[in-house]
Amino acid sequence: MAANRPIKFRILELCHNSEGRWNYEIVQQIQKEYNMKGDFSRDSINFDIIELASGGMLKDIESKVDEDGIYKKGFLLHKYTITEFGIIRAKDACLMYV
Amino acid sequence: MDLKLLKAQEYKRRVKYGYMWAMFCAVLWGLWYIPGTVIWDLNPFDAMYGEIAATSGDGMALVIVAVLITAFNAATVVLALMVWNGVLGKFGEMKRTVKEFNPCSKWFFLAAFFGGPMAILGSFIAMGFVGGAFAAVAALMYPVIGSIVASKWYGEKISKRAFLGIAFIIIGGFTVFGGGMLVELRSGNVAWIGYLGGLMAAFGWGIEGAIAGKGLDIAEPDVGLTLRFIGENIIWWVIALPLLAIAGFPMYKYALLVFEPMTMLVLVFAGITFGYCYVTWYKSFPLIGVGRGQGIGNLYGFFAVIFIFLFFGDVPGWTILLGGALCLIGSTIMFSEDTGEMESLRGD
Repeated sequence: MAANRPIKFRILELCHNSEGRWNYEIVQQIQKEYNMKGDFSRDSINFDIIELASGGMLKDIESKVDEDGIYKKGFLLHKYTITEFGIIRAKDACLMYV
Repeated sequence: MDLKLLKAQEYKRRVKYGYMWAMFCAVLWGLWYIPGTVIWDLNPFDAMYGEIAATSGDGMALVIVAVLITAFNAATVVLALMVWNGVLGKFGEMKRTVKEFNPCSKWFFLAAFFGGPMAILGSFIAMGFVGGAFAAVAALMYPVIGSIVASKWYGEKISKRAFLGIAFIIIGGFTVFGGGMLVELRSGNVAWIGYLGGLMAAFGWGIEGAIAGKGLDIAEPDVGLTLRFIGENIIWWVIALPLLAIAGFPMYKYALLVFEPMTMLVLVFAGITFGYCYVTWYKSFPLIGVGRGQGIGNLYGFFAVIFIFLFFGDVPGWTILLGGALCLIGSTIMFSEDTGEMESLRGD
């Protein structure tokens, strides 16, 4: 999908699958799709994910410690999936074809 | 390291950031009362008030001048926000968001209506007709409106503890400004349109917060906020000012006289404090929820008193000190909430 919709719409879309997505996967994919380089963009996309999660639209289904430094060494990695509420909120925004 | 421990730490950090943003909001909002008060004594607004008062009366003059001041306030706020978005590199996201009218921008423009012509103008009217004290007391009620609307409309969870904290802050706010209000009431001149302005402020800001939350669910706060203020600018500069000019008020004559160094400086100060107070306000909502964000933001009443004392030398009375203490107790109750239980702020 082309990068022409707000980033949070795309994040919800990416998390709309049964097995969920790791936050570093989402961040990397968004950075690639929206051509956003650098650590600042990375953190800002991750903050978008956090906001969606604390808004109750994404839920954290699995976490592991980032031992190898895939994202940030020593910090937590989270796997997210969309919630019922997230699907309802996303329906009129970005999951119209679902 | 222990996974559970790391998780708890991370969650604590997140909520801490939410409260930190809300606290910045309170400080900046409190600061805003300094340019907001000073601007009334500066030209062209002072001269404009005189001219309109001579023909249409004091009451009308106050409302019309308040409109022009609010319009300039909105303009400098957008200027400050454009700088903010430019630094963060968010213009691309802004373009993408504004195109999503139905799910996103619709809510920000609606929030602009409740925040601008209702809340900010209402505050100015209340300040003008009744006095700053009353305007602030009335506006302190807005978290109650915001919490009720947010919980009824989209089921935002508010814990008992958060309720208790909000209650303390509101009682504190009433005490801070209540002393001054009693004196105004005793003097016998009850200006009812000012009280209407106070209600407009409370309802406007409360509803704005809840509506904004709806659009913020799926947008970037920095971007959403800028769109909300662009919306307010459209309301003032494209709709309200031309209509008032057609009605015969000298809107453009005085709007063009605004380019005096001192006036510009004060307006820019107002834009920066108010703009960034909104940035931090909106940033706190997704992290700690509308009710808590507004509750902590409400400490502005306390900060406003301190800043007014520092800049204008108005010595605070005992009611102000007592109320300030109550506000601090309330925010401490909210700060110390066991955050482990509020992993998600919404119902399922």
